Amino acid sequence: MRLLLDLRNTENPSERQQLAREADEYGIWGVVVTGPQGAECVEASAIATATSHVVVVVDIDGRDVHPTTLAEEISVLDQIAQRRTMVIFRGPLSSRKTISTLLNGLPFEGFILSPPPAQASIPVHSPEQIPQVDLPENPAEAAAVIDRHRDAPEAFLIVSPNNSIKELARHSVGRAASTDFPQMVADMADQIDPINH
Amino acid sequence: MDIGIGLWCLQSTATSPRSFGQAYQDLISDAQLAEANGIHSLWLSEHHGYYDGYCPALMPAAGAALAATEDIQIGTGVLLLPLHEPQRVANAANLLNEQSPNRFHLGLGMGYRPIEFEIKQQNISQRLQLMNAGLDALKSQTQTPTWVGISSEKAAERAGRRGLGLFISGAFSKEVVNTLIQAHRAAWEKSDPSEDSPPPVGLLRNLWIVDSEKERRQALDWVRSSYLVYAGLGWGADNTGVDFVSQIETSMDEVEKSATVGSAEQIAEELDGYDVDLVVCRIGYDQPPRAALTEVIERIGRELTPLFDNPGGKQ
Repeated sequence: MRLLLDLRNTENPSERQQLAREADEYGIWGVVVTGPQGAECVEASAIATATSHVVVVVDIDGRDVHPTTLAEEISVLDQIAQRRTMVIFRGPLSSRKTISTLLNGLPFEGFILSPPPAQASIPVHSPEQIPQVDLPENPAEAAAVIDRHRDAPEAFLIVSPNNSIKELARHSVGRAASTDFPQMVADMADQIDPINH
Repeated sequence: MDIGIGLWCLQSTATSPRSFGQAYQDLISDAQLAEANGIHSLWLSEHHGYYDGYCPALMPAAGAALAATEDIQIGTGVLLLPLHEPQRVANAANLLNEQSPNRFHLGLGMGYRPIEFEIKQQNISQRLQLMNAGLDALKSQTQTPTWVGISSEKAAERAGRRGLGLFISGAFSKEVVNTLIQAHRAAWEKSDPSEDSPPPVGLLRNLWIVDSEKERRQALDWVRSSYLVYAGLGWGADNTGVDFVSQIETSMDEVEKSATVGSAEQIAEELDGYDVDLVVCRIGYDQPPRAALTEVIERIGRELTPLFDNPGGKQ
């Protein structure tokens, strides 16, 4: 299971960029961003430009917009992000199908995206496909939440930033990825290299 | 007078193929280079569904360029408003302004390629109505500096009446440019404006700084070849008033004639004849080697911009 850091409720643009940079630095798999309708890919583009490795998951309101417009925005974003784009799409099923087709590099009613996505195919998810949680501050409770979703099994879990990003990376990324995460190593790392909050 | 550069189209053309990933990375490094050399602004351009990937989504591209820089202004030159939902455009512009205060300019145009209207399921015969409705909607939803790309006196008057800036195409003669500016200003004055000064006028100009006749010929060839892109875009475009295919040589000659190629001083002297607030040096052709492009960006910043560096005046 891969963890996605939720930046959708972080109001300050520079704070969003800072958190995204930390997620990038400490190996969080993805960050989830959004914006007012029509500005989602603008926000994602700024985050992609400020980072190098983290996947930029853009949460898009696809109502009242032509699906080719959205697909074009996402495709350009993927070029900017250098293959690091993933989509959470909220909107009509017909639009989602059109967008998914186009972002797979296939034509829809004679139209094909140009430029194409940088990736072979950009994943498009519905909000229901990716659970989200506020991780408890208590480490043991947080570990239990991660274990439960990992074993469900879920492919992704969106978590809100509560403690430091480095702490999330140290204690939760490996646990989310593996059933034999050595918690003792993370605990000892806290002794050797304490994380200042 | 401010000096900007354009138009960044993010293409991979048949004449100069490249990876799209490289094109978008180049946008960021070019914006940083322009900023480091004191250039006022960098402008992007939009088309849809064209084989070469001509950028169809300017707002994310502008977001990247703004996020990678600190001072330079980024503009759309132009975003084709009838092909977008105005509320979404306003939201995107407002977020760009929030992220990078006072650094984003919204240039808007109508579009002319039938295929683009078909893709968006819009009727091209309605483009003027769509444009006007979009401008009205934007006026109440964004404070972003707004410019309108125009090619006729009527369009200039419409922009003037609305108190919007002008963004004038690169291929017009000085006489035509001045006529458009006069029409814009007269319409603005008639509209009983609340502002003290008229809305700004921007002028796109095919331009290159050179030191020798050999370089001059090379630059003019790049300008000519750039028209191939437009000939391709116009392929199949009806009712534009231009027969792109049969008139390609004539059009290339006209574009070459309108180009300003010379030393920075010669270019400044030529530009001094225009009563405009912004000149966007059109250098984003697809043929010049990368080294030539970065050199001309540096020279525009270091040699041309200082010749207009007189706050409050036009030169």
